[in-house]
Amino acid sequence: MSDEEHHFESKADAGASKTYPQQAGTIRKNGYIVIKGRPCKVVEVSTSKTGKHGHAKCHFVAIDIFTSKKLEDIVPSSHNCDVPHVNRTDYQLIDISEDGFVSLLTDSGDTKDDLRLPTDESLLKQIKDGFAEGKDLVVSVMSAMGEEQICALKDIGPK
Amino acid sequence: MQGFSDGGADLGQLQTTMRNIEVACTSIQMHINPAAAEATILSLSQSPQPYMACRFILENSQVPNARFQAAAAIRDAAIREWSSLSTEERRSLISFCLCFVMQHASSPEGYVLAKVSSVAAQLMKRGWLDFTEAEKETFFYQVNQAILGAHGIDVQFIGVNFLESLVSEFSPSTSSAMGLPREFHEQCRTSLELNYLKMFYCWARDAALSVTNKIIEPNAVIPEVKVCTAALRLMLQILNWEFRNDTTSMKAGIDVFSAGVRHDNGSSKRSECVLVQPGPAWFDVLISSGHVSWLLGLYAALRQKFSREEPYFLLWIDPPDVVSKAIEEGKSESEMLDGCRALLSIATATTPFVFDQLLKAIRPCGTLSLLSTLMCEVVKVLMTNNTDEETWSWEARDILLDTWTILLVPTDGSGGDALLPPEGKHAAANLFSMIVESELKVASASVTNDDGDSDYLQASISAMDERLSSYALIARAAIDVTIPLLTRLFSERFARLHQGRGIIDPTETLEELYSLLLITGHVLADEGEGETPLVPTAIKTHFADIAEAEKHPVVVLSGSIIRFAEQSMDPEVRATVFSPRLMEAVIWFLARWSHTYLMPLEETNCLSNDYQQHHSVNSKKALLSFFGEHNQGQVVLDIIVRISVMTLVSYPGEKDLQGLTCHHLLHTLVRRKTICYQLVSLESWRNLANAFTNEKSLFLLSSANQRSLAQTLVLSASGLRNSETANQYVKGLMAHMTTYLVELSNRSDLKSVAHQPDIIMSVSCLLERLRGAASAAGPRRQRAMYEIGISVMNPVLHLLEVYKDESAVVYLLLKFIVDWVDGQISYLESRETAAVIDFCMRLLQLYSSHNIGKISISLSSTLLSEAKTEKYKDLRALLQLLSSLCSKDLVDFSSDSVEAAGINISQVVFFGLHIVTPLISLELLKYPKLCHDYFSLLSHILEVYPETLAQLNSEAFVHIIGTLDFGLHHQDLEVVDMCLGALKALAAYNYREICAGKTGLVSAGLGNLPEGIFSRFLRSLLQLLLFEDYSPDLVSAAADALLPLILCEQGLYQKLGNELIERQTNPALKSRLANALHSLTSSNHLSSRLDRVNYQRFRKNLNSFLNWQNKRNGWFRFLWSFLNFSMHLEALLLVV
Repeated sequence: MSDEEHHFESKADAGASKTYPQQAGTIRKNGYIVIKGRPCKVVEVSTSKTGKHGHAKCHFVAIDIFTSKKLEDIVPSSHNCDVPHVNRTDYQLIDISEDGFVSLLTDSGDTKDDLRLPTDESLLKQIKDGFAEGKDLVVSVMSAMGEEQICALKDIGPK
Repeated sequence: MQGFSDGGADLGQLQTTMRNIEVACTSIQMHINPAAAEATILSLSQSPQPYMACRFILENSQVPNARFQAAAAIRDAAIREWSSLSTEERRSLISFCLCFVMQHASSPEGYVLAKVSSVAAQLMKRGWLDFTEAEKETFFYQVNQAILGAHGIDVQFIGVNFLESLVSEFSPSTSSAMGLPREFHEQCRTSLELNYLKMFYCWARDAALSVTNKIIEPNAVIPEVKVCTAALRLMLQILNWEFRNDTTSMKAGIDVFSAGVRHDNGSSKRSECVLVQPGPAWFDVLISSGHVSWLLGLYAALRQKFSREEPYFLLWIDPPDVVSKAIEEGKSESEMLDGCRALLSIATATTPFVFDQLLKAIRPCGTLSLLSTLMCEVVKVLMTNNTDEETWSWEARDILLDTWTILLVPTDGSGGDALLPPEGKHAAANLFSMIVESELKVASASVTNDDGDSDYLQASISAMDERLSSYALIARAAIDVTIPLLTRLFSERFARLHQGRGIIDPTETLEELYSLLLITGHVLADEGEGETPLVPTAIKTHFADIAEAEKHPVVVLSGSIIRFAEQSMDPEVRATVFSPRLMEAVIWFLARWSHTYLMPLEETNCLSNDYQQHHSVNSKKALLSFFGEHNQGQVVLDIIVRISVMTLVSYPGEKDLQGLTCHHLLHTLVRRKTICYQLVSLESWRNLANAFTNEKSLFLLSSANQRSLAQTLVLSASGLRNSETANQYVKGLMAHMTTYLVELSNRSDLKSVAHQPDIIMSVSCLLERLRGAASAAGPRRQRAMYEIGISVMNPVLHLLEVYKDESAVVYLLLKFIVDWVDGQISYLESRETAAVIDFCMRLLQLYSSHNIGKISISLSSTLLSEAKTEKYKDLRALLQLLSSLCSKDLVDFSSDSVEAAGINISQVVFFGLHIVTPLISLELLKYPKLCHDYFSLLSHILEVYPETLAQLNSEAFVHIIGTLDFGLHHQDLEVVDMCLGALKALAAYNYREICAGKTGLVSAGLGNLPEGIFSRFLRSLLQLLLFEDYSPDLVSAAADALLPLILCEQGLYQKLGNELIERQTNPALKSRLANALHSLTSSNHLSSRLDRVNYQRFRKNLNSFLNWQNKRNGWFRFLWSFLNFSMHLEALLLVV
């Protein structure tokens, strides 16, 4: 069932590709980039030259937005890099199930149940504690290149 | 114990005293009952008039320590009783001491002699202002005789020694205490400096000279060395004197003689250049008397004698080629480096002319030639072994380069370059060509080593820049030779590139050209450093015989470089020759050059000064007008603009190059109005503007360059004659952005397309441009920018909503609004102000609603800390926005007042603060800049509009109070100061309200606080002042805050005061504390009004109270810090 949901999601922005080409020189700190097939957020850019009278190249240090692994890449700055299409959607948190999935309320009033909770203990605790306190929580779900993950949490207060 | 006063002393008594003292001294040495012995000795110096006894001991005792103590006793007693002694007695004490040391000059107990001589010096100083000149003469005659060697070596030594003690007594940093006011010491110092110091110096020099010959004789160690050492030490000491009475702006002298101490008992202290200011009066003594060479000779001779090295040269630097060769073959280079330092030192003390003359007496050519040859040798060595290691030749080069710089840097402040004698010019020209040759060699050699380490590169660039300015000075000293040389070098390389195109690898030539461009840029023009640089004087004044502008060497050189640069427009040449790195040098050169030569301001001045019919004026005029408005200026400007456009379009991704073009070159151009007038009429500039709006490639510039380019283009509108066309021009430039943003924000599928990377990129790019344009808004272009801002207001809010998770875009949006509001607010009419304020509030609310209570979740600590930094930057921008809004109340150019439209800035800002403060956590306040911004805004608001604080809801109120409390204990003084200011304003407002019969702040809907805020602050402020460490600078600000607080909470203050008194157990202290607290609030006629006078009175009271308190607390503080220290120590021990 979760597979079906996923297909439905990607149909929503049909035709939109997952990545876009962009000149390496224009990608800056805090922007996104694909390194080794992974969507990353750039935390450091530096430029240098290839040889004394060569052309500039960019050195990127970036962090995988899903796994938090550090990745690096060097690209001539006039060449194109892939930039992932990173989307964020807010959902209201309805329920946390025992098996590690969350139940979310979409804008259209449907529920979305295919999203796993983070596995990291402290992140898990932040979500579970907030939910247990009965707060009205909105979760931000970040999606890129066919993956998605909860990336932020917001207490919208009692309504 | 009975004193030892001499009243009616007979021999028996004197002998008893002597024995007592001797016994005491011996027992101290043997550690037998030292306390009693010390008391005995003390009683001698404390007894009235012990002089007879002391003299007796000095002359008769066999115990050196007793003699020492007797001398000390004379000093103590005489200083104490000085005013009651008769003139005769004073004189006799001094001459006794002097005679004593002279007579016992050969005594083996040097320390006794030194003591007596220092006693004589101290007494001399004590009586310095009372003695007549004749009396002083008498003493110094005696001393001089001794120093001249009339009574033998020992006495000579003693004489020098006495002067040394005297000079050290008169120098404030080494003088002994005499219980006299500072003025006394100052007067003595001045008197000695003006009347005696130079004389002493000459005496010492003569003494040293008189023994030199004997020392140089290759005998074994002889007693003359002692005299020579002492004399050199005295000379050194005198040169180290802190000269005050230096009225002219003579160059700082350097102690060239410090080398003299070197042979002092084999001490291996490296001679260092100590800066002293002997003043021009010393010139004859130090420089002209030729004893420099004597000293150098002595040094060399001594080295030979004592270090038993082969006597292989006399001067360490001459002849240079032999020396450098010897060093390369393994000889020690330290003499050579010392020699270079000596040259540097001499250069600091002389003008180039005198410097050059120095060696004329003993050598055929001048010092400048020697310097030049020497440096050429060093450069040659550098060229042959080009390593990254710092060798002696590096060091020698740097020292010698400094020497040149010091010689050549203009000294009179008029900007005129120092003039060298013809021979010196020749030397400079030789050296410069050698330097250029070596730089070119280094450049072509560097092609092979790939520089990986950019940090190292950065450091070497700034060192390089310094070096280049020194080169430029040398080149300008011989400008008529060096400019043609550079022209020739350039044309050789241009030809080489041209011939070898496609055949030979041009990299080496490119690197050489890179170096040449940097050097030439420095030679031809100065860095503006924010000002408009003028054509260097050397260039202006030389080439007098050239009347035709085209043949002016500077024009020829500039022209050839510009023509070369123009070739980069050809794609084929560009691909093979103009590498990004070379292009960077070209752009850098063009920027520097055009800042000085392109349509210069001087041109008009020069033309109007026709009456100045000097010969050189013609050539100067020719040079200045050649690139002027009415001559070649426009053509060259057009070339420069076309080259700039080309670097932006044809070098994709070369951020450094494009950065130089945008920030350096284009900025330089639009900075001058004359150029702006030309720019806006140029086809090429219109093309740039067109490309800016339409061309895709310009969207690929990096963000800072994007911003800078927009700013430059908007600034160039100042070249348009009236504000209507200027506004039209700006609108035309910006239309594409506003249209795009409006259309985008109106798209129905905005939400889904907005996050596409290409859309994000366009949006960021346009926002950067808008921001750049907003920051260039001046009065003439303000209208256009206002309309642009208004038209994107709604799109901005839409985008803020859509991109709420895209922190980079959010920050850009905020920064654009901040810059825009900052540039507009003071011009806006009230209706417009209302619209802008309304917009800002919506923006703040929207931002706040997105971010309050939001927690980022990520495994990566880097990403989390990035998120925090982004939040900090956003908030700082919002605070800046509020500050700009605040400024409307202070700076307002509009025709009607804002109040007319019913806008209350204070309410707006408070409302804004209300929205922003919940986002500012104490955690974020740890960012110093944010903290600073926040508290300066807060204290400003509270000082200007305290009444609005009452209108905040209790949550925001508590939050603001909490941050104030936090700020009060902040480490940054300024923050604490601002908090105290805020507190003062708040409490004063409250007090006035209460006095006026109103409720004040406390009950205005804020009654739910557990304790009144003012009692809370009163407590914490008292706590701070009484028990915590704080800077004394804060006392005034604290007093200003404390007074209204006390007035607000008088009951609590009484209670706290009583508590403080009760805690005191010592009844005496108790009553004193009570008194002190009482006088804090009652002395100086302190009343309960809050006016300036009263604040001042309270400041005084608090100061005196705290002084009292500090004395009492001193001991406890010491104990406390001691405990702290021992805890640290313990911890340290545990770690170990």
